[in-house]
Amino acid sequence: MQRLTVEDLSAGYGGNAVLSDISFGLEEGGICAMIGPNGAGKSTLLKAILNLGTLMSGRVTIAGSDSRALTRPEMARLASFLPQEYNHGSRLTVLETVLLGRHPHRQPWSTDSAVDLCIAEECMDLTGVAGLAGRPFCELSGGERRLVMLASALAQKPILLLLDEPAASLDFRHQIDVWKLLGRLGTMGVSVLASTHEIGIAGRFATSVLAVAGGGSRAFGPPPSVCTGEILSDVFGVDLAVSQDGYGGFSVVPLLVGEA
Amino acid sequence: MKTGGRPLLWISLALLVLLGVLLSLSCGPLGFPDDPLALRLRIPRVALALLAGSSLAASGCILQGLLRNDLATPYTLGISAGASLAAGALIILEPMMPVIVFLGAGSAGALAASAAVWALARASGGGDSSRLLLSGVTVNLVGASLLLLVEYFSPASRLVEIIRWMMGDLAAVDGAVPLFLLPFVVLGLSLALPRSGTLNQLSMGDDLAASRGVRVSSERNALLLAASLLAGGAVGAVGPVGFVGLIVPHAMRRFAGSDNRVLLPASALGGMAVLLLADVVSRVVAAPAEIPIGIVMSLLGGPFFLALLFREGGGGS
Repeated sequence: MQRLTVEDLSAGYGGNAVLSDISFGLEEGGICAMIGPNGAGKSTLLKAILNLGTLMSGRVTIAGSDSRALTRPEMARLASFLPQEYNHGSRLTVLETVLLGRHPHRQPWSTDSAVDLCIAEECMDLTGVAGLAGRPFCELSGGERRLVMLASALAQKPILLLLDEPAASLDFRHQIDVWKLLGRLGTMGVSVLASTHEIGIAGRFATSVLAVAGGGSRAFGPPPSVCTGEILSDVFGVDLAVSQDGYGGFSVVPLLVGEA
Repeated sequence: MKTGGRPLLWISLALLVLLGVLLSLSCGPLGFPDDPLALRLRIPRVALALLAGSSLAASGCILQGLLRNDLATPYTLGISAGASLAAGALIILEPMMPVIVFLGAGSAGALAASAAVWALARASGGGDSSRLLLSGVTVNLVGASLLLLVEYFSPASRLVEIIRWMMGDLAAVDGAVPLFLLPFVVLGLSLALPRSGTLNQLSMGDDLAASRGVRVSSERNALLLAASLLAGGAVGAVGPVGFVGLIVPHAMRRFAGSDNRVLLPASALGGMAVLLLADVVSRVVAAPAEIPIGIVMSLLGGPFFLALLFREGGGGS
């Protein structure tokens, strides 16, 4: 069964559509990398899938249920979200922040159970932030905060992960680690939709690529069919040379002729 | 992290409150425990300090989380301006009202102001924290100006009464004042405490909270209502006493951490202790005269708050 189906979706803010006629699907264990220029509507699409105020028309089906028919807690037990924006000044510790992901699985005032703690520790290990457990969230670097929020999204134990630039502000090592982790989650049956600018790395681990530009989807398919010089140049509006590295990854090089 | 796992915190807070109660009962111009009159006067006073202290501190804690702003206080939502304006107008128009009418007017003014802030934030396009903050600041400024206008046209004798009201007063002649405040506190805390985990979610961000199953706007409204009831009741009962709602949650973070499931009840207890002790100071420092609680609270709270900031700055990385 399809884990996520998006049909004829239009999304935007205050009646103005940023995106229209988006259709694609994600199977169980599928990893979809969403690419596109800044402001193309990648975050808007993720929010529309979660019904966070940007869905205007069309249909989103998560694990067979229409997203509009799901209550917030029901949706939260299926899908978790890593937004780009959150309170950087939070004084909760890293462990407490990761434990916040357990919210849909318990009563709002209940204490953290042994199971919650165990899951939180496991997720901190997965993203490599176990060593930061006692540190206040507000004192972390931008990259560390991304990894903590990713752990928190994992602690929600979703079958669908919606990630808005999970590897933003991470160094090469951590970018690769994050995408490797997403690939591993895929083999465990979790489906992932992640917006990204690391096309080269994402293409190696993703099972599909969705290119968004100019108010709609430009291409959707397996990485080799979407990550071509022609399509990427068109999507980003700049001349790009793409070469396959022979290991399933891509290197994307902007051709700077005439840009100086 | 675990509400039940911090016996030391809860025991020390309970002892601190107990100390405050005992000091408050035994300090003052009349002897204790020989004089039954002293007890009869002081028990309602202690009850009032317990209720007002806990509600102001809890309200501050809720708003700091909800508005994601450490400077938020119960008065950020226009509550003190609304209460002062209502009480001030009543003093001008009908100074001879029974005490309970004053209490009601103050609280009604406070709640009306926070309702106005809420409605303005919504009308401007959403109930998010930055809009709430901006409309709160606006309502506060407008309310303060209207109060000045009322004062400008009032005779000097009434002016003194308004100013005295704004300095805060814990002197409860009988049990009526604490009994007036009690339902506000019960209602406010019973709305807020079960939502302390939800408050943690909202303090991280609206989209994030929603994606974790929180019905953001209804939960935020419930928490705003709780904060308004708590602070509105307290301000009606004791006047716009400042600093409790700001410093108590801050001080408590050092001992209780920032998880609202612990911080919120800890702030409520801390607020009780702080207001009780400030009240003792207000009666002892210039005995037999009494310094208004609002002045004592700000004079003690200001330096204490700064000391806290300097320590944080020095100890932090």
